[in-house]
Amino acid sequence: MDLATIEKVVAFIGALVVFTFALIGLKGEWHKKGLDDNVTKVLLGLMAFGCVLVVLASFGVLPRGGGGA
Amino acid sequence: MAVSVAVHGHGPDDHGGHDDDIIYQETRDMRLMGFVLFLVSDVVLFSSYIFAYIYLRNSIQPTWPPIVDGHQLPRLDTAFAAFNSVVLFGSGVTMHFALESWKHANKPRFNTFMWLTIFLGLGFLGGQGYEYAHAQIGGWSGNIFGASFFTLTGMHGIHVFLGVCFLFALWIQTQRGVYTEHRFFGLTAGTLYWHFVDVIWVVLFFLFYLW
Amino acid sequence: MATVAPGVPTGPYHAVLDHIHPEPTSFIRKYIFSIDAKVIGMQYFITGAIFFVIAGLLAEIIRTQLLSPHGAILSAATYNSVYSMHGSAMVWFVVIPLLTGAFGNFVMPMQIGARDVAFPWLNLVAFWLFPVAGVILFSSFLVGAPDAGWTEYPPISLQGPLGTNLWCIAVFLIGISSTMTGINFMVTIYKMRAPGMTFTRMPLFVWGQFATTPLLFIATTALGAALAALFIERVFGVPFYDPKRGGSPVLWQHMFWFYSHPAVYIMIIPGFGIISEVLPTFARKPIFGYKMIAFSSVAISLLSFSVWAHHMFTSGMVPWLQLPFMIITMVIAIPTGVKIFSWMATLWGGSINWKTPALYATGFLITFTYGGLTGFFLAAVPADYHEHGTYFVVAHFHYVLYGGSIMSMFAGIYYWWPKMTGRMYNEKLGQLQFWLTFIGFNATFTPMHWLGLLGMPRRVATYDPQFQFWNQFASISSYVMALGTVLFFYILFDSLRNGKKAGPNPWGARTLEWMVSSPPPYYNFKKIPAVLAAPYDFGNPLPYLGLDAAPGATEATPTSASHPVPTY
Repeated sequence: MDLATIEKVVAFIGALVVFTFALIGLKGEWHKKGLDDNVTKVLLGLMAFGCVLVVLASFGVLPRGGGGA
Repeated sequence: MAVSVAVHGHGPDDHGGHDDDIIYQETRDMRLMGFVLFLVSDVVLFSSYIFAYIYLRNSIQPTWPPIVDGHQLPRLDTAFAAFNSVVLFGSGVTMHFALESWKHANKPRFNTFMWLTIFLGLGFLGGQGYEYAHAQIGGWSGNIFGASFFTLTGMHGIHVFLGVCFLFALWIQTQRGVYTEHRFFGLTAGTLYWHFVDVIWVVLFFLFYLW
Repeated sequence: MATVAPGVPTGPYHAVLDHIHPEPTSFIRKYIFSIDAKVIGMQYFITGAIFFVIAGLLAEIIRTQLLSPHGAILSAATYNSVYSMHGSAMVWFVVIPLLTGAFGNFVMPMQIGARDVAFPWLNLVAFWLFPVAGVILFSSFLVGAPDAGWTEYPPISLQGPLGTNLWCIAVFLIGISSTMTGINFMVTIYKMRAPGMTFTRMPLFVWGQFATTPLLFIATTALGAALAALFIERVFGVPFYDPKRGGSPVLWQHMFWFYSHPAVYIMIIPGFGIISEVLPTFARKPIFGYKMIAFSSVAISLLSFSVWAHHMFTSGMVPWLQLPFMIITMVIAIPTGVKIFSWMATLWGGSINWKTPALYATGFLITFTYGGLTGFFLAAVPADYHEHGTYFVVAHFHYVLYGGSIMSMFAGIYYWWPKMTGRMYNEKLGQLQFWLTFIGFNATFTPMHWLGLLGMPRRVATYDPQFQFWNQFASISSYVMALGTVLFFYILFDSLRNGKKAGPNPWGARTLEWMVSSPPPYYNFKKIPAVLAAPYDFGNPLPYLGLDAAPGATEATPTSASHPVPTY
């Protein structure tokens, strides 16, 4: 395994973990109504989306045409 | 209810604890709104450079990465960036749970998550340093790829760095007993700022590595 | 406690409004680093007036230069610096800080029944960035002032003298100041209105400030980004705008106008607010179409974010984008027209008291409408191809900026002068000053429309001799305007020395700031009043409860100087 593969595997596992915990956090926030809670909902959601992007990157779906130096 | 509004039931002479709570709540709401508006204006700052990057990449450059001196520049290292992104997103989640622990008066857990957040933030900065050292795109002032990449991620890096300092200062404040279980606006602001920095990275990660 | 009439406000109780800053005692904390919004407002006025005089002198130098087709006094290079600095100073260091910082800080908290703005310390910092930035801006004359116009288009600005860097820093700092003020005012207006002051009971000046705030803290940041990029390109050679290195000058234009088109509404919406206060007061009539005026300000504010590229029709943008930008620009004329007609209807049938503020407000209606109409010409793509970069543009934006913003500021200063100082100004001299300014202004800028249509380009130190007559006419008329400005400052100083006492409400106005003594006490209201209706129903009793101190009565200092507000 070269370095890039290890990075991708670690990123993939990490992304799954972070995604799960982001969703758990989001669930805890969901019923709250304050301005800070609403902003947090949006931001946690986007962070979860970021984890999806990482998963896509670790499988090489994105960028199209393959990445890496 | 309606009646006591016109002629205030309590004025500046009262020093009751109840009045204090109302004032705290109203001040906190104002500061929170002001802080969120500050984040909005910061979003515009990043959006401007993101617009600049998209504009230069799509409307001005015929190819991307651009061709400099007859050679096409390489793409950036996606694998490492994906790993580094997870570090930053993870710190966002730990910060969220740090604040939740504080709200539930669980101080040891708060300390753990807070330090985890700070270390992950520093780890991301270190990763950025590694990334900067290895990006073969001609430096900051070489061409528009380097210009937009280093300006945007550098500005984000400055935000991360300030965020780490912010979080560290907040941790010191909590140790000095400045915040209570019910009055912790600084922690709320710090968490929002840290989430904001993470979410900016979602966009930058996509634009520079996955597009 | 006591039962009050039905219709009493049921809004939340704002304990925070009762908070009173301890009154500062030392001179420095009272007048220099004060956190009292009224003092900060006056500081903005004084600083802005100084910059107004300097920038006005630069304007007179420009007009003197253009007395002769060959350029009367300056070299072409110096002339470039002079008009660039005139524009930059007038836009960022006179009109924007005066209309937001000065009028906003002095009038707005009182009009919403608050003691101060939401973040007094932020306000203090925002103010002090202003003179610091101004000194940095004008010190650029020492190292070679910027010479690419107030818009500083690259690539010319990339090659500009060293002062262009200082220009970037100065405008960046004033931009931060604007952002702070915008956030501060939005939170203040949103959270700190007195009980019962719903959004539809706010004075229209407050509506104007409120509609301006998003422009201040959203658009200004884009300018900051553009300026920072220009700065790092000039200093570190990072390519953004240089076409030789893969950048794009049009990128600057996009980022600059994404700020600067909203900025022209920063420079006029508060002015609309002033006019909406002055006209009903002097026509002794309820304002016509209160809600329409209020909502049209917000509509203008929102629309202004989507029209910036109409400045760039000739810059080589995509042709299919021109049509939408042209149409949205023209759509802005609808809310503006709603305002103009509402104001005319306010005057209609009123028993107008032709005091100086009323003269200025009416003069504003004429000149601003005129400037708006020429804006319509410029928004039309085919006409713009002909008019872009000519004196027609100069005439247009002076009609909206001087005939709009500055005239509304004159109206506002005459209107609130008794409130600021407690003294009346000399009414006869005030009216003379209006006529000097109004006639001088129109005589200066009307011929520029013709010059522009005939093809005289702007920003040139010399011109074709066929344009000489109208240029000399404009220059001589500009001296009349300058005379009017000198007279204006004389009137103010004269009023400070000899003006008779004004009393709390010399105009019989109905907004809250007139319910306290002149000048107002540092805590504004002895008791935060409750508001029952919008303030413009002349003839009805005042819609306020809790103003126990009758206007004119001496107000006692509240017993408790400071309420302990928890900080965390």
